[in-house]
Amino acid sequence: MSALPLLLSTGVTPLLAVVRRFDPARISEHPLLFGALGAMVLLILCLAFVGKVPLAYNLRNLMVRWTTTLLMLVAFFVVVLLLVGMLAFVNGLEALTNNSGQPGNVVVFSSGANDEGFSNLALTEVSNVERMEGIAADESGQRIVSKEVFVIVNREIPTPKGAPSRRQFVQLRGIEDPQLAGFVHGLKLKEGGQWFSEAGVEESAGGAEGQPQVVRQCVLGNGIAGELGKDRPGGQPLGVGELFEMADRSWKVVGILDSTGSTFDSEVWAKRQIVGEGFGKESSYSSFVIRAADVNQAATLAKSLKDSKEVALNAMTEQDYFQTLSETSRTLLYAVWIVVMFVALGGVFGVMNTMFAAISQRIKDIGVLRMLGYSRKDVLMSFLLESLVLSLLGGLLGCALGLLLDGLTAKSTVGGQGAAKTVVLQFVVSQEVLATGLLLSLLMGLIGGLLPALRAMRMKLLETLR
Amino acid sequence: MSEREVIVRVRGVHKYFSRGSERVDVLQDLNLDVPQGEFLALMGPSGSGKTTLLNLIAGLDTPSEGRVEVADQLISNMSEAQLATWRTRNVGFIFQFYHLLPVLTAYENVELPLLLLPMTAAQRKEQVLTALELVGLSGRLNHRPGQLSGGQQQRVGIARAIATDPTLIVADEPTGDLDSKSAEEILNLLGVLQKELDKTIIMVTHDPKAAERAGRTLHLEKGRLVHEQVRQAHSA
Amino acid sequence: MFHFVGLIFKNLRRNLLRTILTALGTMALVFVVTMVWSVLDFINSQTAEKSNDFKVLVTEKNKAPSRLPRAYRSSLQEGAARGPDDVKPVDYMTWAFYGGTLDPTKMSRENFLFLIACEPEKAPTMLDDLDQLGPADMARLNAGVAKMKKQANAVIIGPEQLKTMNKKVGERFTLNGLIFKDLNLEFEIVDTFPEAAQRYGQTSLMNLDYLLQGIDEYESKNKKKLANADDPIAFIMLKVKNKSDYERLSAQIANSPLYTSPAVRCESASSAVSTFLEGWKDIFWGMKFILIPAIVITLALVIAVAISIGVRERRQEIAVLKVLGFRPGHIMFLVLGEALLIGILAGVLSSAGSYLLFNKVLGGIALPIAWFQRFFIPQGAILLGFLIGAGTALAGSLIPAWSARSVRVADVFSKVT
Repeated sequence: MSALPLLLSTGVTPLLAVVRRFDPARISEHPLLFGALGAMVLLILCLAFVGKVPLAYNLRNLMVRWTTTLLMLVAFFVVVLLLVGMLAFVNGLEALTNNSGQPGNVVVFSSGANDEGFSNLALTEVSNVERMEGIAADESGQRIVSKEVFVIVNREIPTPKGAPSRRQFVQLRGIEDPQLAGFVHGLKLKEGGQWFSEAGVEESAGGAEGQPQVVRQCVLGNGIAGELGKDRPGGQPLGVGELFEMADRSWKVVGILDSTGSTFDSEVWAKRQIVGEGFGKESSYSSFVIRAADVNQAATLAKSLKDSKEVALNAMTEQDYFQTLSETSRTLLYAVWIVVMFVALGGVFGVMNTMFAAISQRIKDIGVLRMLGYSRKDVLMSFLLESLVLSLLGGLLGCALGLLLDGLTAKSTVGGQGAAKTVVLQFVVSQEVLATGLLLSLLMGLIGGLLPALRAMRMKLLETLR
Repeated sequence: MSEREVIVRVRGVHKYFSRGSERVDVLQDLNLDVPQGEFLALMGPSGSGKTTLLNLIAGLDTPSEGRVEVADQLISNMSEAQLATWRTRNVGFIFQFYHLLPVLTAYENVELPLLLLPMTAAQRKEQVLTALELVGLSGRLNHRPGQLSGGQQQRVGIARAIATDPTLIVADEPTGDLDSKSAEEILNLLGVLQKELDKTIIMVTHDPKAAERAGRTLHLEKGRLVHEQVRQAHSA
Repeated sequence: MFHFVGLIFKNLRRNLLRTILTALGTMALVFVVTMVWSVLDFINSQTAEKSNDFKVLVTEKNKAPSRLPRAYRSSLQEGAARGPDDVKPVDYMTWAFYGGTLDPTKMSRENFLFLIACEPEKAPTMLDDLDQLGPADMARLNAGVAKMKKQANAVIIGPEQLKTMNKKVGERFTLNGLIFKDLNLEFEIVDTFPEAAQRYGQTSLMNLDYLLQGIDEYESKNKKKLANADDPIAFIMLKVKNKSDYERLSAQIANSPLYTSPAVRCESASSAVSTFLEGWKDIFWGMKFILIPAIVITLALVIAVAISIGVRERRQEIAVLKVLGFRPGHIMFLVLGEALLIGILAGVLSSAGSYLLFNKVLGGIALPIAWFQRFFIPQGAILLGFLIGAGTALAGSLIPAWSARSVRVADVFSKVT
């Protein structure tokens, strides 16, 4: 019994979040989806009000054969929940790449590099970039260009002695000016934290023989703080002031970033020089992230950087860059639909079975209705309505439970070969996801119910009465 | 026979089916007049065509040749959809196995044909209650067929048949599935419908006792009318 | 017993529509399970520790993608063995990557080619699964390798990749370097991977010496350093006899003073794959523990619906059978048998069908996960189809079978009369 309040309390928050996110304006952005759903709802209403056989007749019959009704309800529910869950995952992945690029930002890589992993910019290159027209300036008149170096660390996960060694990839970003970088990427520190110092290191207790040791300061994204904490006893996320081991060094968490649902949530930030020295990138940057003076000018700025004869660079708006990383979500989306189509197909055969059986059990009912003057169309509508009502109930149930998945976190990968980033994402149960789930359910009901209903309609009156 | 207006007029009706290349004649050159308010019984051995004749008159089937008119309407050449609408307004059906919808209550079963007519919910309710009262089932409105005895189910069937105030009531072996006491009650009820409500009733039966209640009995054999028997005492 | 099976067949034939629908539903669902399971099974086989013929990767210790200097190559190929007591690897292969576009103005997928640069003669023995090739294919592969040994710019390209590039064996082409920017190399296609090496449809091999030579020539000609060229090797792959050799080899490499900047690590190939797939772990978990169970539940429900309808429709008949002397166990056997027959036949048909469809017709499940491009249905999938068909049929029909078993003759006949 105690599970119920728990379920309700965990259920209410995502429910509210989903409701709060509901935006009627977005309906017009997906005319096909909401149009189809609207058409299905209209069809149900039509069948219920234009069809003359009372709805109670169908509902009672569903209750009379309650075992098959229940089994089919669960089947609809499972299929819809599966779809909602998988789409919410892909949605979360897409949100990650969509949220990561700031409007107005331009990223600059070395010429030929499409990704920060392969990009090598000489330290001197920055002056060429800062000279460009159209870069925003801060209060002190300094042009807003964040100079960054990016490495993927192959980190040994501390395991108890004797256990097989395990490793994880950690995205580490070296930042020249943390305040500036935070501003450029739209990131804020959580309360209680601070940015790393100019030196990027500090003395801390815990060195060999009780001596203070020099540790590297870093700021963690919210997601990676959780991931790094997972493998220690208790598994709680790392917090400000705590130490962890990475690449044979001790690192101290000086701040945690507020979650923004971007790939930066899965990054460790530290001083650029510290990262450069530790990973053989002392004399190069991976990228410059520039804030354009005018949001609408970002694309123009990117183009002029890319086409510039004086510097050999590759540049694109940050939003475009993160779009190139959505390859994984496209792959997953395609896989999700293949899987769902076949599962739904299996479900459709189940619906057909129940409806064909319902009809052969009620041949006499069909005869009586026709005898009393109900038309063939009325019979068709009644049986179609019955399977649609069943699918509607199952679909609603699946969507309702699907709401609970909103906000769930999971690990995934973005980007393709060679440029993959491990990220922590949050399931996003959007109105589109729910609409898709419900639509799938109704389509299963429609397709599975249509053939049997047509058979009911085609029956010869005198034969049904015999 | 009285001088009353003829309500059912069957002229030169043939009905045959094709079984492969063979033609099976069910009804041959059949003529019949049924005046308003008559209680007519159709008798005959199995395969004599009595139920087929009943179905033609009730608009459940159409003849291969000939004309069937009911209340001055030629129903023998109506389309299926026209016939359906016509049946709702003009025919009440009573069957051997009652033919009620098992998931609906007595009330809902009786209401079923009324849903096809342009009536308000209040009008429907009044008519359903009147019909069920007439058959003596006012106390069983919310019972499902499965909760009623055979005789009671048949009375729901009768209430459904009269609820629309049809021109014609057709009954196919209405007592065939009932014990003698229930059968008696049902036949009494049919008598009341004919005498007090002036309903025209056509009944197919095997049972000579049931046929006795009718004012006229027609005997069919091999698709032809072979014998007519009139009981003066019963015709009003 | 034989009579029973005949009776089961008769029952299945009587409502042929329902039997077909149930079988089709089962086939659709087993088909998805087979696909999902095949992907997981392959991933599993890649990350599972092997007990012998151990493949070991020596990579840069702390950074990904790993990059090692040339100087490491010769000593690592020996497993950093110095003394006569040190263990030496059985075999080795050096991996570097070279990539570029056929047309620098069009950076599209069709124009992009990614090559593994290695010692060509090591490919047949060190690349996974190539040792499984038949003698004819093996001879062909060895001939290709021999050409690569003789002619520095010779490459072997996977047949699918060749199709994407729209090139033929014998053609020459120049790549504009991307991984090594400005290093443009000319190649000649000498052969493709044999069709039987299905996993290598998109793989391309070049001679490592050609790459290194290209770098040297570029630097001496242009009098400048080429970006990323200081440490052009990605990793060294070693083969050792068994786990204990692996452990000794690991220690040898870890204790060697040769590898400090950058430091290296030595790990089993399966463990390296696991690390690379870390980001996919939750997805694989979801496939295994949510997706497959959910599909299996749906399947059990579809079967349960069909069987319980059948039982309900035949209550009267079951009562007659009981009157005739059938025992409750017999009745249960009839119902379970019916479900099992549909489940198993449809399950095996579906998994065997998907085996043929994907492996023989479609050339694998095209699903680019990490660096895997295609997945194949293992033969074990046919057993899986059998097991899932049987398991879901049993789970779905147990309750209906029990209720059939418990049909009371008196109840049924009292309803009829």
